[in-house]
Amino acid sequence: MRLYVLLLMCCAPLASAADMQITRDDLDFSVSVRTPEQTNAFYAARGLPPRAVQEIANACFLTVSLHNRRADILWLDLAAWDFADANGHQVARISRSQWAARWRSLHVPLAAQSTFGWTQLPETRDMQPDESVGGNVPIAPPAGKFTLTARFRTGMKGTGKPVEIKFPGLSCPHEGAPQ
Amino acid sequence: MKRLLPSIILTCLLGTALAADLPPGLLKLDARPAPALKLSDMDGKTVDLAQLKERWVLVHFWASWCGPCRREMPTLPQLIKTFPAERLTVVLVNTAETDDEVFSFLASVSPELGTLMDRDGQVTTRWKSRGLPSTFLVDPQGRLRYLALGGRDWSSAAYLAFLRELTRK
Repeated sequence: MRLYVLLLMCCAPLASAADMQITRDDLDFSVSVRTPEQTNAFYAARGLPPRAVQEIANACFLTVSLHNRRADILWLDLAAWDFADANGHQVARISRSQWAARWRSLHVPLAAQSTFGWTQLPETRDMQPDESVGGNVPIAPPAGKFTLTARFRTGMKGTGKPVEIKFPGLSCPHEGAPQ
Repeated sequence: MKRLLPSIILTCLLGTALAADLPPGLLKLDARPAPALKLSDMDGKTVDLAQLKERWVLVHFWASWCGPCRREMPTLPQLIKTFPAERLTVVLVNTAETDDEVFSFLASVSPELGTLMDRDGQVTTRWKSRGLPSTFLVDPQGRLRYLALGGRDWSSAAYLAFLRELTRK
């Protein structure tokens, strides 16, 4: 069952309409927006207690995969990513510290908090040449379509030519939506 | 001496090249002291990194739900067999899983493999791993020297040659 769920998370989205993949400036970048059923199954299979899974179900999870094929460092910093709805209003990203506060108030065991943390995309990372990183980015689900604009600094000191990648037309599937 | 000089220069050059030639995916660290690591395995046997003196230690953080960890794990028994423990000790640390989950997975890979249990995941967090799997190479003075980014085949010729050179006394 656990293997099936993992395969579902890794492979099934490849055929999903919510998937997007862009390669630009030697950065491979893919985004898949998860259905609530996928997210629930994914975290329940990893031993998170039902109260935590319920809390997770209130958010919208984007699974992001990045591969730095450049010869220099690419700086991942989620604070430089922008989520905006069709009217240009900001869509809130739910940070690690916000999750930590939720887990504390729900008395979620540390082991489950740790597992949840390892499934999240790092908030900052100096991506070395040929390094890959992947994980979930949770947001407060907007009603309609939204655009992700991801910005990266480059080079040893982050002063190289920046990279910007835009994913328009994303949407958070509601419960029961076809997968 | 004149006849020896080219050999000496060549040896120095080769040594320099070898030190600079890291296998792909290995990141050189700044030799800061390794964080504390004192954990028990599923049988209650405790391992303390501070007690593993005068040898290199490969500290490998993993979880059975992580795909790259599952692909990498079968390459570790060969590595463990290749190096005597007093030269390179391999320490596996499972991150925040239960005995049942760990036992059923490891038994399917190699019954000889054992792992320490970071039951609440806090040791893994303190080591500032870049993800799972993460592997650190700790030198005989207890300093962090290399970090392996993501999974790899530890039994490959490139890694075995690198580790042979690294751990040679």
